[in-house]
Amino acid sequence: MSQAANTIDIAPDHKQTGKFNSDRMQLTLGIALIVATGIGPSLLGNSYWEHTFQLVNIYIAVAVLQNFLFVDAGQKSFGQGAIVGLGAYGLAIASGVHGWPLIIGALVGVLAAGAGGLLFALPALRVQGFHLGFATLSAAIVFPQLLIQFDGLTQGINGISLYIPALTEPLAMSLSPLTILVTLVPIAALLLHYTIRNARLGRRMRIAAESAEAARSLGINSGFMRSLAFIIVALGTGVCGALYVPTVGFISPQGFIIELSFIFFFAVVVGGRGQLLGPIVGIWVVYILPNVLLVQLVEYRLLVNGALTLAVVILFPDGLVGTVEAWRRKRNQRGGGEEGFSLRPFTDTLMKRPEQPIDANAAPIIDVEGVTKRFGSVVALDGVNMQVRPGEVHGLVGANGSGKTSLLNVISGFSRADAGSYSLAGRNVTRAAPVSIARMGLGRTFQTPRIFPDFSVWDNIRIGLDAREAPLDAEEQALVERLRTSYEEDSPRMMSHGQRRLLEVVRVSLAAPRVVLFDEPAAGLSPSEREEFAKLVRQLSRRMGMAVILVEHDLDLVWGIADRITVLETGKVVASDTPQVLADDPAVQHLFVGGAHA
Amino acid sequence: MLSEIVIIVIRGVAIGALFSIIAMSFNIVHNATKILNFAQGNVFILGGFAAYFLANQAGVGMWLAMLIVTSFGIAVLVAAQGWLTLLPLTDTNEQNSWLISTVSVSVIISALLLLLYGPFSYTVQGPIPSFRVMGIKTPGAFVLAIAAAIFWYVALRLFLRRSFIGLAISALSQDMDAARAAGLPVQRLQLLAFAISGAIAGSVGFMVAPVISVSPDAGLRYVLNGFIAAVVGGIGNNTGALIGGPLVGVMAMLTAYKVGGAYQDLASLIVLVTILMFWPQGLFGRAAARKV
Repeated sequence: MSQAANTIDIAPDHKQTGKFNSDRMQLTLGIALIVATGIGPSLLGNSYWEHTFQLVNIYIAVAVLQNFLFVDAGQKSFGQGAIVGLGAYGLAIASGVHGWPLIIGALVGVLAAGAGGLLFALPALRVQGFHLGFATLSAAIVFPQLLIQFDGLTQGINGISLYIPALTEPLAMSLSPLTILVTLVPIAALLLHYTIRNARLGRRMRIAAESAEAARSLGINSGFMRSLAFIIVALGTGVCGALYVPTVGFISPQGFIIELSFIFFFAVVVGGRGQLLGPIVGIWVVYILPNVLLVQLVEYRLLVNGALTLAVVILFPDGLVGTVEAWRRKRNQRGGGEEGFSLRPFTDTLMKRPEQPIDANAAPIIDVEGVTKRFGSVVALDGVNMQVRPGEVHGLVGANGSGKTSLLNVISGFSRADAGSYSLAGRNVTRAAPVSIARMGLGRTFQTPRIFPDFSVWDNIRIGLDAREAPLDAEEQALVERLRTSYEEDSPRMMSHGQRRLLEVVRVSLAAPRVVLFDEPAAGLSPSEREEFAKLVRQLSRRMGMAVILVEHDLDLVWGIADRITVLETGKVVASDTPQVLADDPAVQHLFVGGAHA
Repeated sequence: MLSEIVIIVIRGVAIGALFSIIAMSFNIVHNATKILNFAQGNVFILGGFAAYFLANQAGVGMWLAMLIVTSFGIAVLVAAQGWLTLLPLTDTNEQNSWLISTVSVSVIISALLLLLYGPFSYTVQGPIPSFRVMGIKTPGAFVLAIAAAIFWYVALRLFLRRSFIGLAISALSQDMDAARAAGLPVQRLQLLAFAISGAIAGSVGFMVAPVISVSPDAGLRYVLNGFIAAVVGGIGNNTGALIGGPLVGVMAMLTAYKVGGAYQDLASLIVLVTILMFWPQGLFGRAAARKV
């Protein structure tokens, strides 16, 4: 595969052996399985399996949504059974008790479920993880109690019957409208999961779920993402709840006890967290196996499911489908080795842009004045002043513990100054949240690169584009296209530490921020990668007009590319000037002791 | 009127002391491992079952002996659970599996109890007779509940601040990597923390069996209220837990008397959601240093 001399050789000669993920294949297979089990029994005239799979497919739809919530949004809910119940009771009360039209009843059910989702979504704005686990568990326990308590509304333990003959009358080929509906709903849930996962929204949800810092630095509001996921899932689960009523014909509080919520949760884990096919296999194992095939063991099903889930978590944490997928991925995994990722295509594209002079009199884009930051009795920053002009490369150097990272954290909003002020592009952002600072055009990298192993290399780059507001020009468009074709099937697990850093650098640069902070970017880079990185920094500043703040221990690198350098010592600025002036400053000389600098 | 207030306060504080104890048993494991053991409520109930089968209507000597046996037995059981829970955590991609495994263990315990003893609530008679406070009959186990909360609070405080092992466990809560680098046997300390949490929950479940519902499905309610007490007090903060428990307990009793017993769990849910929304660090929480 040789390319013409003037095109950019990104990733030479790596053999295409397989897809990075099998989502597409799992989606197709999943739909096929649901169609077969959904309409197959009716076509064959087997009413026992027809009825069984009607319920099973509703459960599958709920589990698919829970899978999305669990992995793509990172939220563990133990209360999805209660949401199903809200959907079911909404319809049953509206249409079964009060005789409202079915379509209105279904809408009431979906809205009731949405309201339940809101109960989970509101605390999700502030907290996550086990906090929400307990809140949802608590809701699942309370829900059946309330059904009994408000018996004026719900008919208490007597339950509500609602038969809808119009739905069960066969239309053609012994297929009833109900059969068709309960086949379509899990398919719709699967498509929803697949679509969101592959859209900007899904990628940003996943980032919010996996790394709060990365999310903030990309302008993603994690709390909002969590709440949104809870609400989307609750509305979809409400549809399933409404369908549950005509499928079973009768509902009572006993049907929505916490055990139901556990079925969905266990199904997702056993089937394989995050695998599109997982919930389908999971419900088959967790529900069909004990309830249908081993009826004599039905009283053991909670014990069996609990033990099965525990065993899966410990022995096959990827679950049934996930274990197969992990094996496939391992066999097909590809990366480009040493040449697998480089900045070359990026720097070559930027090279084609004209150089813009830096306006020495421009107002500073970053203006830090008298900033002090304390951690307990430790003063990390002590009255720091620093100005950075647009397009300037600003080095930040100093020994370990001198306050470099603390200053970066204040600038990116990750920690708040105790005293002093900080303005970004003329706006005072001393008390602003990191998300709004990021949205004002500030990007950053981290000492430990935030790379998402479940994303392909291309998707890891793409989340930078997702955060971008400026449109791409033709050159950039071509670059992006080339990055996509080169990296969309590559796994970041194969990348070296240095390559991960460069990947993060490309990601943040493609987001086109006005100011970019690099936190020790050169650590772990090979000499040639380092050279390429230095070139990129110059280009970002000269050709893209970005201000660059560079925290780095490699003083050669800093002296080579910075326009100005600020030297920190125990939280104070001891010098700030051009590299030429600082090289002769006695206050800075000791930094070089032991180095190769004369 | 006055007697009603007395009932609410006494019952609330006594039941709340149990929530404090469950919260403290959460805290020691959380501080050592960042794990919250969802099975803790069923571990507590397990103590109640032990009291029924080993020491129902027993004399004080027998009761004390069985209390010690139960504490050790449940401590070993929870340490084993901890070992299983920690197994997958060595893989950095599996940092959240504890939530699944502790919930599974919780389900397994209650399913086993259900299979073995049926869906019944067992009545246990303890060694301390009931007495009267302002003319109101008060179970002796209430005194035990409050005494146990204070005992475990003081014991944990001394252990975590004075003993070498306790200090090592405290070190884990501050910086796991540093503790490992300093050569502390991290996993053994974590298992010890699980064992201690089991001893706390199991022993108290045993002691207060006469006033709790000793039934297979009761565990979840105790774990939830214990969690709420822990959240109110700030997770990891035992002093907060000691105060948070009675607050939650009195609130629950107030709901039971003013609105109806069936609404207790609803009231707990509302308190939990409110606290999480407005004071996610708890009322007495401590600020954690931010990590980047």
